[in-house]
Amino acid sequence: MSEHDPDHDHHHDAPASPYHRSARPAERDKALAERVEKIESLLIAKGLVDKAALDKLVDIYENDLGPLNGARVVAHAWVDPDYRRRLLNNATAAIGELGFGGLQGEHMVVVENTPQVHNVVVCTLCSCYPWPVLGLPPTWYKDAAYRSRVVIDPRSVLTEFGTTVDDDVEVRVWDSSAEVRYLVLPERPAGTEHLSEDQLVKLIDRDSLIGVKKVLVS
Amino acid sequence: MSEERLTRPDIAEMAVSYALPRKSGELVFHTEWERRAFAIAVSLAVQGQFEWSEFQQQLIESIAEAERGDPQNPSRGYYESWLVSLETVLRKKRILP
Repeated sequence: MSEHDPDHDHHHDAPASPYHRSARPAERDKALAERVEKIESLLIAKGLVDKAALDKLVDIYENDLGPLNGARVVAHAWVDPDYRRRLLNNATAAIGELGFGGLQGEHMVVVENTPQVHNVVVCTLCSCYPWPVLGLPPTWYKDAAYRSRVVIDPRSVLTEFGTTVDDDVEVRVWDSSAEVRYLVLPERPAGTEHLSEDQLVKLIDRDSLIGVKKVLVS
Repeated sequence: MSEERLTRPDIAEMAVSYALPRKSGELVFHTEWERRAFAIAVSLAVQGQFEWSEFQQQLIESIAEAERGDPQNPSRGYYESWLVSLETVLRKKRILP
């Protein structure tokens, strides 16, 4: 922001990313921004929120919560069979052992990929997603296209993500909701026996924890 | 557009995550008002002003309403539905008029 030419017409609510292509007309965006401002100032006047606290909260969700946490859970389960058992029996508690929990992290269920089963997660109704271990959901996860198609034809959707699942492998689709939020425990790739837990963490990305990809050795 | 994004998630998302690398892997808010609307709802739920499940239920309804015509072309975006839900819950709980 600071490198902006001060004479340049600067929009306070300009898109945070230059790559974002917004379908929303600027006037509508402005009206929406005003609605949020109105709510915020009324709540500030009532003492229910304050700007600094809101900024801090957003910072946590944007920078501290994310799939790195989920990757730590998975890598730990790969190297520690007892932890893996606890994770599959009571995911919320096992994830809590590593210090992750909170809003949208309640009622966690971990589903394990095996040579016979590939799991993939969706929220058909909205965007239920385990924030403490995955952060906030990517755009495509909230799209009607993903939400409806992955249920009807999961194999095609997986193919679009570049994931091939053999015909003799069962694909299970799990619908996250307010009651249950799923996390996939991917298969540990062959040839990673010599890697440390920290090295394994680096192999695990968000999409493999949602189940649209497998963990690959890069 | 959503079809296109799904077909090419590699391309659609790479630019963003590379431009602004984050632990969460992707920039999820596109405007400041989306960020504020998100923070207000979460902050009030954490304080116990309303149950998170209550907000979620409202969000499900708002999204369903927006997708009633053509699910692939909802009448409003995700965070717009989020804002509508926030306004509705605040009204129902008589937190705001």
